[in-house]
Amino acid sequence: MSENRVSRRQFLNYTLLGVGGFMAAGMVMPMARFAIDPVLKANAGGDYVATKLKVAEITTEPQRVDFTFDQVDAWYESEVTGTAWVYKNENGEIIALSPVCKHLGCTVDWNADESNPNRFFCPCHMGLYEKDGANVPGTPPLAPLDVYPHQEKDGILYLGSKANPREGA
Amino acid sequence: MKWVPTDIETFAKSPEYVDTAVIPLLPVSFDESIKESATMAEFTTLLTSQLERQLQGRILLIPGFSYLKAKKQEALNVLVQWEQEMLDKHFKHVFFVTSEYDWKQHEASLKGTLLWIPSLPLQHMDEKSRVSVMEDQVRQLMNLFIQKWREQESV
Repeated sequence: MSENRVSRRQFLNYTLLGVGGFMAAGMVMPMARFAIDPVLKANAGGDYVATKLKVAEITTEPQRVDFTFDQVDAWYESEVTGTAWVYKNENGEIIALSPVCKHLGCTVDWNADESNPNRFFCPCHMGLYEKDGANVPGTPPLAPLDVYPHQEKDGILYLGSKANPREGA
Repeated sequence: MKWVPTDIETFAKSPEYVDTAVIPLLPVSFDESIKESATMAEFTTLLTSQLERQLQGRILLIPGFSYLKAKKQEALNVLVQWEQEMLDKHFKHVFFVTSEYDWKQHEASLKGTLLWIPSLPLQHMDEKSRVSVMEDQVRQLMNLFIQKWREQESV
């Protein structure tokens, strides 16, 4: 017993070391957390929402797909219904276009105007878009329709909850 | 567009595209028809907000016009003033949306279009049928708007 006696000097050393260690950890930990924060953050806008549409059911004709997801707006949470026009283009790629007109936000419809078949039509100001979402010059819209990111999982189509402007347009 | 600052900002930037005002007519009463009034008001509010989603680029949704059901004549007088103001200031078309049939007999005093849509007992439906029923109603209503716009453009 007596050989293991802790001297006063040793005791103080250990105590200081311990307390100092805690203090140092207290300072370093938040900094480390800040430093790696971008890695831990959930991928913003990267949430994919399952639709009721099977990938095999997608045809070359655009069809309306509704999907719902929860959206938190400040203090209240609401269920939001998103809509997309989904089809396969001639290369077999899946395209999911947002139905929101780039002019003033009306909802565009596929093939709705008799004089403009196979185009997206906006009833508000006669805006027109080609099948690939490109705006038809001479009509009010100034940009092509937004595109939803999409994923395929277990044969079901998943769409991103936010449509992005088309690149290179 | 809704009666909120962000939408009104867009409106102020390009008012020439927004030529239609929509006023939901919301009845209020405190007698035996209280429940009926509430159903009508809810339905009309829901319907017009869905409509606004579809056609937001061209219509401005005015905050609901609430009136006492028992004082229809007074309400009508005020509504006529509202309408006049809107037609004078900017709008080409004014639409009134209501579930109360009584308004039909006052239609002649209004210059705008009165749309009467019978209200549906939404509270008895489940979520799914509610949405699909609303969608059908909105689609019908939309066609009326588009028709009206076409009429004016062909003149």
